Amino acid sequence: MEKLFEQLAYCIEFGKINKQSPYPPNMKDQEGAGELTGQLLDQGVSADDILQKALIVGMERVGVKFRENKVFVPQVLMSAKAMDAAMIQLKPHFANNPGSQKGTFIIGTVEGDLHDIGKNLVSMMVEGNGYEVIDLGTNVKAEVFIEAAEKNPKAVIGLSALLTTTMNNMEKITIAIKKHNKNTTVCVGGAPVNQEFCERIGADNYSPDPQGTVEFLNRTVA
Amino acid sequence: MTKKEVIKMVLDGKKPPYVPWDCKFTIEALEKMKKHYGEDVDVEELVGNHFIKLGQSSGFKTDIGKDRKIDIFGTVWDMSLEKDIGNVEGLVLPEPTLEGYEFPDPENPILYAGIEEKIAANKDKFVLYSIGFSLFERYWCLRGMENAFMDFMMYPDFVKDTLRKIADFNIAVIKNVCERYPEVDGIYFGDDWGAQKKLLMGKEVWMEFLYPELKRMYANTKSFGKYQLIHSCGDIAEIIPELIEAGVNSINPFQPEVLDVDELMNTYKGKVTFHGGLSTQKTLPYGSVEDVQKETKHLLELGKDGGYIFCPSHATEGDTPIENIVAFIDLILAQKR
Repeated sequence: MEKLFEQLAYCIEFGKINKQSPYPPNMKDQEGAGELTGQLLDQGVSADDILQKALIVGMERVGVKFRENKVFVPQVLMSAKAMDAAMIQLKPHFANNPGSQKGTFIIGTVEGDLHDIGKNLVSMMVEGNGYEVIDLGTNVKAEVFIEAAEKNPKAVIGLSALLTTTMNNMEKITIAIKKHNKNTTVCVGGAPVNQEFCERIGADNYSPDPQGTVEFLNRTVA
Repeated sequence: MTKKEVIKMVLDGKKPPYVPWDCKFTIEALEKMKKHYGEDVDVEELVGNHFIKLGQSSGFKTDIGKDRKIDIFGTVWDMSLEKDIGNVEGLVLPEPTLEGYEFPDPENPILYAGIEEKIAANKDKFVLYSIGFSLFERYWCLRGMENAFMDFMMYPDFVKDTLRKIADFNIAVIKNVCERYPEVDGIYFGDDWGAQKKLLMGKEVWMEFLYPELKRMYANTKSFGKYQLIHSCGDIAEIIPELIEAGVNSINPFQPEVLDVDELMNTYKGKVTFHGGLSTQKTLPYGSVEDVQKETKHLLELGKDGGYIFCPSHATEGDTPIENIVAFIDLILAQKR
């Protein structure tokens, strides 16, 4: 069993979706995340064990390598695709047992900004590390974040922005969220965002990379 | 000495009489400047830029109503929020195939509209023809950004074929421009590759997929005896040697938040010119007038012996206080007084 977990973690780490996928070339015709997840479920392994012992392990390795500039956006997206191939089989099991995920993360690109690649990378990485992710999309107003937080009281909120011009809306949105419920945790990120800005606007966490957000969630939520 | 001559001195690695500049402003920043300098101010004349740019830095677009434009490659742009460039809407190529897709015609008159008039009205300036979204950005505009990144891994032959066709189109346009308008001094290629740290796609992917086509485009420009200036946002430090090897003369926007401005200027002195350098992520929007003055003076000092063209490290955005805009404009203009 341990060998199968490791094989699956390896598929996530290197973005091997399934047998048909041509990537990575050195794993041509080998089984991928889809097939290995199916095999584990067939053998009676719980969805939670597959998530904890294989998927999260693989995704964490990718997150660390991305932070260390050992892999880049293309490889992270391939890992996320492999993760999807596994998660699609696990989700029906989680639906019957909602407690098996670590927590909920609500994410969106702030009002005025339509950029989504950074938000999506964080979203994939957080989901891949065992959290339920509610993606509100781009150009999201404060009230939409607040409404989502009301429906998911323990959720952490993530705000993304690419531009200095739209970064200012993070402040407006963070203040509105905190005014509504001061206990709501707000994470911020995006190219021009930094720790100083995070502290100035009263947000709780800034991470320069997706793995940093995962680690913050693991410390404070899980 | 004309502005054209000063820019040529810098690009040729000679010491200029002063540090030349070419600064751009977004629509929102221009509105602030009009409020400050007067509604009828001619910003180009006020700033005294050294370039005149022909062509289009963000593609040739036609208004289709409802805050939408379509470019000659068929990409639809939502202009409702980001009014200068817009945001891509939908996919031109939802699948990794070019079947049924026709690349634009390099003879399309829109590509050359108004060129003679602009050249005639700006005889003292360095004349550039702009090809924005010149390779990777054009690719992702057609396929969508996430697809584009995964295509490198999943469909490498399709990516190479499509990039080759994009480059072929650019090469045909460059040939027309160079043959028809001998006054053109250089080609300005825009294509964003950099992230806050390193390249978005990583150097290995850049080398395998983008560099061969970039070399082909740049060699073509050189064959007409023209300068080539490039723009890529982000941390592109690791590919500067390759860009120089391919014949690039100038690199913009030289973002100080992600690049070591002083170190790069020293390392590549005499090999390539840097154009940009004034922080648009920090100093301009959040710094004081004194901060802007200090950074501008430092850049002008760094570039006094050549190898440098001043400008903010992007079109100045609307979140920059007008006092900060005035501060750098006054300092660059003061050089010639």
